Amino acid sequence: MGLLILFGLFFGLMIAGVPVAFALGAAAVAGFLYEGLPLFVAFQRILSGISVFSLLAIPFFIFAGELMMQGGIAARLVRLAAAAVGAMRGGLGVVNVASSMLFGGISGSAVADTSALGSILMPVMKEKGYAPDYNVNVTVTSSIAGIVIPPSHNMILFAVAAGGVSISKLFIAGIVPGILMCLCLAIAAYLVAVRRGYGGEEFPGWAVLASSFVYAIPGLFTAVIIVGGVLSGVMTVTESGAFGAIYAIAVTALVYRELTWENFKKAVLKSVVTTSLVMILVGCASAFAYLLTLYRVPELLAGALTFVSDNPIVILLMLNLILLALGMIMDMAALILICTPIFLPVAVSIGVDPVQFGIIMMMNLGLGLCTPPVGACLFVGCVVGGVKIQDAVRTIWPFYLAILVALLLTTYVPAISMTLPNMLQ
Amino acid sequence: GTAAAVDWRGWNIHPEGYPNTVAMEQFAEEVAEKTEGRINPTVYNGGVLGAQPDAIEQTRNGALDFANFNMGPMGPIVPATNVLSLPFLFDSVEHMHKVMDGEIGQRFSDALSEYGLVALSWFDSGSRSFYNTKKPIKTPQDVEGLKIRVMNNDLYVQMVDALGGNATPMAYGEVFQSLKTGVIDGAENNYPSFESSNHYEAAKYYSITDHLIIPECLCIAKASWDELTPQDQEIVRQAAVRAAETQRQLWAERSKASREKVEAAGVIVNEVEDKAMFQAAMQPLYETFVQENPDLEPLIMAIRETK
Amino acid sequence: MPAPRAWFKGRIMQEEDERAGTPATAERLLDGLSDLCLRVAGVLLVVLIAIFGWLVFGRYVLNSTPTWVEQAALILVLYITFLGAAVGVHRGTHLSIDFIREAMPEGPRAALHLISDVALIAFGAFMAWQGWHLVATNLNRKVPLLGLSESWRAAPLIICGVLMVLFVSAGLYRRLRAPGR
Ligand code: NA
Ligand code: NA
Repeated sequence: MGLLILFGLFFGLMIAGVPVAFALGAAAVAGFLYEGLPLFVAFQRILSGISVFSLLAIPFFIFAGELMMQGGIAARLVRLAAAAVGAMRGGLGVVNVASSMLFGGISGSAVADTSALGSILMPVMKEKGYAPDYNVNVTVTSSIAGIVIPPSHNMILFAVAAGGVSISKLFIAGIVPGILMCLCLAIAAYLVAVRRGYGGEEFPGWAVLASSFVYAIPGLFTAVIIVGGVLSGVMTVTESGAFGAIYAIAVTALVYRELTWENFKKAVLKSVVTTSLVMILVGCASAFAYLLTLYRVPELLAGALTFVSDNPIVILLMLNLILLALGMIMDMAALILICTPIFLPVAVSIGVDPVQFGIIMMMNLGLGLCTPPVGACLFVGCVVGGVKIQDAVRTIWPFYLAILVALLLTTYVPAISMTLPNMLQ
Repeated sequence: GTAAAVDWRGWNIHPEGYPNTVAMEQFAEEVAEKTEGRINPTVYNGGVLGAQPDAIEQTRNGALDFANFNMGPMGPIVPATNVLSLPFLFDSVEHMHKVMDGEIGQRFSDALSEYGLVALSWFDSGSRSFYNTKKPIKTPQDVEGLKIRVMNNDLYVQMVDALGGNATPMAYGEVFQSLKTGVIDGAENNYPSFESSNHYEAAKYYSITDHLIIPECLCIAKASWDELTPQDQEIVRQAAVRAAETQRQLWAERSKASREKVEAAGVIVNEVEDKAMFQAAMQPLYETFVQENPDLEPLIMAIRETK
Repeated sequence: MPAPRAWFKGRIMQEEDERAGTPATAERLLDGLSDLCLRVAGVLLVVLIAIFGWLVFGRYVLNSTPTWVEQAALILVLYITFLGAAVGVHRGTHLSIDFIREAMPEGPRAALHLISDVALIAFGAFMAWQGWHLVATNLNRKVPLLGLSESWRAAPLIICGVLMVLFVSAGLYRRLRAPGR
């Protein structure tokens, strides 16, 4: 009965349009009242859920990402990618994917990736005769790289929700699957471009390639600071997030000279809004999770899944399908927070490393960001690209397919994600 | 009995298989069995219901019914228990057992009961010693300049500062990576934690300073306790005492096994010849503490005088 | 570059929409309140970044780690979150699923709006009430290494709860006065 109230109220309120965070919080409050538990515990859980040291990195990553958008780092990465791979057939599609891979290495968010790169690349692509739906498809799906390639604030959410999975291990583990996914997407972008008869750009010459690389270095160095700071051990993840932010201020203000006071202000305020959206979700999800724990939901689900099948391959497939279905209708951060404590024990029980499962979740839920009916990246991409959602979705399937291939490989070949972290530990 | 059965929720921060977890589960089973189901306890292990400060509040207010609490994080809530966080208070684990099982332990129980917690028995959390990546610590001078991670408590910070180290409060989960990469030089903990956290892979020097020997309680929420019949209270109390016996025995075995494991892995363990030098360095810390908490001085004296 | 003075003047970020139905002064007041919260949170975010810089500087350069930074940061992030969350309620920027509601005919849609508003007001009220409870019961507990009362940790709940009730009530009032919007 308690579970029914909890989930019924949560879904009911969400359908009524209550923001996901508050739907979780309100359902939790109702659950506490129903169980006769002291109500302050619900809000204690919200506070304690937010007040977690590793989560402090999230505002920093978000802020660094905003600065990169406002301060010209993204534009220079695009220029580098264009010089490097623009000459292929369907060059700009591949450039789009490559830019996402580079940008993904310094930004932690797929939506930031979509709006930053989309607003730079889509006008250019349109001008060169690429159809708007294609542009949106490439931009949106490749933005998942921002989540899978480190740094990634969603990985931090996962690590915290999983109760102590090493963030640095997760970061390292994301590199190869992220590149693999981009490779699959680049192939899809190339094949579709060939079918549609898009041509390539002229190769600008080695000198331009070299110079655009040099210009991009200070921006790329943000990734070195954040990821390198963690790996080399000069700083903790949180501190390196703060330093990434400080470094991004310095580069955009002093080197690229594109950071004005106005841009800085905008970046700060937008980061506050985004940070608070993520963190309030984290808090309310912990109040909700308290009841899930009391009701022993993880054990119930594990029992149900192993009742259906005891074959690890089937269980993993089922987990993936459930996540995909949920990802279509719900936001990524909320799903990480709710599903990790429930699904991870199941995955671990069939021998999956928590780190690998984290990467699977990142890619799987990342795909959810690009699907209707609820997909933040798809929405942003369609707005920036000036395309109706139904038009973009009609032609997006080759890109979904590419991500699914990468997802299945990551799911069933542990070496793809685990080789690097195992080597370094 | 005619009384309706009650479900009890229990809090425990340790993972499956840990001495405390085994003891807590033994307690739950024994209570369920001996009360013939009048009390039906469930232990939630691994701290899934929150960190200890939150769990203390939950237990005081009836969201939880029983718990295994360390006295370290109890200090901000029950001031008397701060005494137990004073470095080098106990000479040895045996000394601590003697103190807590006797009249002084009862004084701590009384202090806890003012805050809605009924302490029925005292668990062991071993003794904490320094470990680091640089060198064996034999005298206070060896601590000088080392960046040492401590738990969030002013006394622990003051302790490392008094030894000339650089006290670095840090979340537990960050410590392994930070040791490995040199963000910090060392930390302090007991053998089982040193081993299970894998910190021994990064920090090769373990120096037996035994600077903190902090007892833990098996506590019942006062509200849940008061609802029991005297007979059931007795059953619960005895189960708690037996759980403590189990925990202490398993803890000792676990400590020994952990020590053997880390030594086999190449950790250099050294005894500290002259603990008096360390204790002397703590003098200012004790003076400040007594100045700020004059009412606790007799308690400190009584503990020091228990032999 | 505009003078820093501009920081305190005028609305930040675009989205201006006509809000029929409510008295204009009340609207402006709420907008102002929301902007104030956002700016305060913005300043706190900059402070948060700065103290982490100080933490690393202290540990490596001064060889004396500022022990208050971690605890202070954990409290700062609560203020940033709850101030920002209230602003998000005012501006409607929280992640929500409204495609089902918006696909409904007018009647059910209005009903769902009402349910949503009532749920948010109730949650905000609970948040403020329990926040008050947590502040009152933690006055004597000190945050370790900071010396501040634990009550400071719970105070943002009161702020955010009260603001949520205010902002959502204004929206509810607006919709009731001008249905169909
Ligand atoms: Na990234
Ligand atoms: Na979606």
